[in-house]
Amino acid sequence: MTSLTTFYLSGIIGKEAFGADGDAIGIIKDLLVNAVPSGQNDPNQQLVTGVRLKIKKETRFYSFKSFRVVKAREMLNVSCTGLIELSNEEVENGLLLVENILDKQIVDLNGRKLVRVNDVRLATLPAGTFAVAVDIGIEGLLRRIGIALPIKRILSLFKVNIPAKFILWDDVQAIDHSNLNIVLSKSYAKLHTLHPSDLADILEDLGKKSSMSVFSALDEEKAADVLEELETQTQIHIIENLPVNKAADVLEKMPADEAADIIDELEDDRAELLLKEMDTESSQEVRELLEYPDNSVGSLMTTDILSFKPEKTVQEVIEDLRSKKPEAAELYSLFVTEKNDELIGTFNLRDLVVAAPETLVGQIMKSEPVFLYDNQKVQDISELISKYNLLAVPVVDTANQLQGMVVVDDVVEDLINKRRTKKR
Amino acid sequence: MIRRKFKDSGFFKQLAIFFAILGPGIITGSVDNDAGGITTYSVAGAIYGYGLIWTLFPSFIVLLVIQEMNARMGIVTGKGLSDLIRENAGMKITFFIFIGLLLSNIGNTTTEFAGVAGSMEIFGVSKYISVPVAAVMVWFLVVKGTYKIAERIFLIFSISLLTYVVSALMSEPHWSEIGNAVIHPRVEMNTQSLAMVIALVGTTIAPWMQFYMQSSVIEKGLKMKNYRYTLIDIAVGCVVTIVVAFFIMVACGSTLHPNGIQINEAKDAALALKPLAGAIASQVFAFGLFVASVFSATILPLATAFYVSEAFGFEAGIDKKWDEAKEFYTLYTGILIVSAIIILIPNAPLIQISIWSQVLNGILLPVVLVSMILLINNKKIMGTYVNKPLQNIIGWSAVAILTGLSLTLIIMPLLSS
Repeated sequence: MTSLTTFYLSGIIGKEAFGADGDAIGIIKDLLVNAVPSGQNDPNQQLVTGVRLKIKKETRFYSFKSFRVVKAREMLNVSCTGLIELSNEEVENGLLLVENILDKQIVDLNGRKLVRVNDVRLATLPAGTFAVAVDIGIEGLLRRIGIALPIKRILSLFKVNIPAKFILWDDVQAIDHSNLNIVLSKSYAKLHTLHPSDLADILEDLGKKSSMSVFSALDEEKAADVLEELETQTQIHIIENLPVNKAADVLEKMPADEAADIIDELEDDRAELLLKEMDTESSQEVRELLEYPDNSVGSLMTTDILSFKPEKTVQEVIEDLRSKKPEAAELYSLFVTEKNDELIGTFNLRDLVVAAPETLVGQIMKSEPVFLYDNQKVQDISELISKYNLLAVPVVDTANQLQGMVVVDDVVEDLINKRRTKKR
Repeated sequence: MIRRKFKDSGFFKQLAIFFAILGPGIITGSVDNDAGGITTYSVAGAIYGYGLIWTLFPSFIVLLVIQEMNARMGIVTGKGLSDLIRENAGMKITFFIFIGLLLSNIGNTTTEFAGVAGSMEIFGVSKYISVPVAAVMVWFLVVKGTYKIAERIFLIFSISLLTYVVSALMSEPHWSEIGNAVIHPRVEMNTQSLAMVIALVGTTIAPWMQFYMQSSVIEKGLKMKNYRYTLIDIAVGCVVTIVVAFFIMVACGSTLHPNGIQINEAKDAALALKPLAGAIASQVFAFGLFVASVFSATILPLATAFYVSEAFGFEAGIDKKWDEAKEFYTLYTGILIVSAIIILIPNAPLIQISIWSQVLNGILLPVVLVSMILLINNKKIMGTYVNKPLQNIIGWSAVAILTGLSLTLIIMPLLSS
């Protein structure tokens, strides 16, 4: 016997397993894999622990330990030395290759997209049988239909190869496509390595149930980042289907203007319910933003801004920033206000960094700043931003009180949404 | 909250919701009356007069029930029909359905280009100019990403399908005879007549439309909460399909049939209308045919490439670059080129191609329908939104009748020859 046998899932599903005496025992329906730690720094390996066997009319799970897959003259043989039934718990902790992986969409972590699994490649080593990679290529498709070999032979006459495409198991994340929320949802850990934008694209491509199951498994911070990147349709679907307290938690973590945009799209009852559930500070900000009519500067602005009194020193401002640890966008522009929140100037990180620690904010600020009124039309923003090369513009109300700011990211997003002829 | 108040005012709110949801059903309904459909209706009208108009009514019911199932599946799962079939029906059935879909749609697209060629010939444009121009135009329209705008323009243009109503009214139909023919449905038991019934049903309920309907619903992001508006949308779409079909059959039945004029193509119908109903009726008919053909020639290859890619796990979408979605673009471009070239071959057997793509449609339709009914009754997929008994009865009877019809269509040429 060779120490290494590789084979495909499609090659053994539907095959008979034979006992020691050469009699057929039953038909192989599915394989169960479990993640086992393989070493200190190695990622988990997927050990085949069970097999779903159809014996006469009954289908049960048995331990794979007593099974052996052997390749002899291009033919796969599955032999079995004894049947040990698996407990329900053992089955529930594993992943079924046919039911959960084959023909389903999974996440390709390197390509950062969804791919469809055509086949699974397995290998038998002395330590056991492992799921090594998923096959997402055309060769896998042809193999499933049973015409890979003849087509390969014909094509080889013309010196053409069918490209094989595999992804190693370490680089994929299976998705729970059932609505049973099995063990998978606990192990979406790999998805946390993806950028929120990529994760958002993947969620949009998933069906409704699966996107909910993946989203629910994210922690609040990540969930808020991902939610922000989703298209309105998907945002609404998710917020409507999350439990109210969880939805409120995620919305609290988002910038108020983004949260307001989502809440504005919801049914009034649901919106009110969420606003009540959110902490008072966040919901107050959102409520204020909701008052602004669509298409006004106020509806686009963020209220997460940093403003300082002119008599503060640079040192104090920097210490303040260190303790608050604001998001990157909040630092695009810093504002100076008098009492009553009246806007008198702006400054930026550069001004702060190059100034001596004891300098007063009032000395480094640019007075008579460019600003927008909250009731101005959205169209006015882009002109202003491009004319003065700004990253953010302060927004004031008619009494000249600082209300928030419009950042360039939101303006660009708004412009793209308008110009884009939406494609499939 | 100012804008909230506006949204809340009852009637306007409902109207706004309706217009936001409007679309998938009506667009699908319009695409349904493509060159193949117009040809079939015209030929049926010319040969049998008002005799086969009654087939439109059972077709309407089945169309309505099927499209409702597609919409429901799309809304509940958020997944395309090809995704669902691939994930639940296994590789071999998937392969059969999608290779069948690919072949029949190459045939259908060829019929669309035949419609372009025929209608432009009425206006004196050679097919060697009109077909390549139309193909290149369609390709750019889609690949260069103005597809959504194009879809809307086409939707407006598809109002021109109502020109058939004008054509029909100008042909002075005998309404009492029509009423009589509808109330007393009759089929002559011979090969030709039965084949015509099959073709009529087959062209009205084309398999690819089920895929198209389901993905438009998903793209629109419709919700179960506003389902009754979706139902209205579907009903309007089905009515449009049937009304247009009705008037084409009336137009041809009142003019061509009494004079014993036999036609093979929709173009012949337009030409034949000229001496009988006047040059304007003929040109109106030709214009409607042209718009319908280009509209479907845009949507068919794109939709086909999309569903085949989806089922086989290729990257798909016109927002992807060529390198990212090679298989998708190759399929799309390939379907367009192959169908356009077939039309340009001198003496190409267009009628045979059209008939064979109908046959393929006929075989495919019951398979797709069975998959659909099994999927929609699966609680794991649909939860509480599985079919109600009545829907299943209509669905399964449709499958039985269609399978019967398709089998007859396949067996009959063997028996008669």
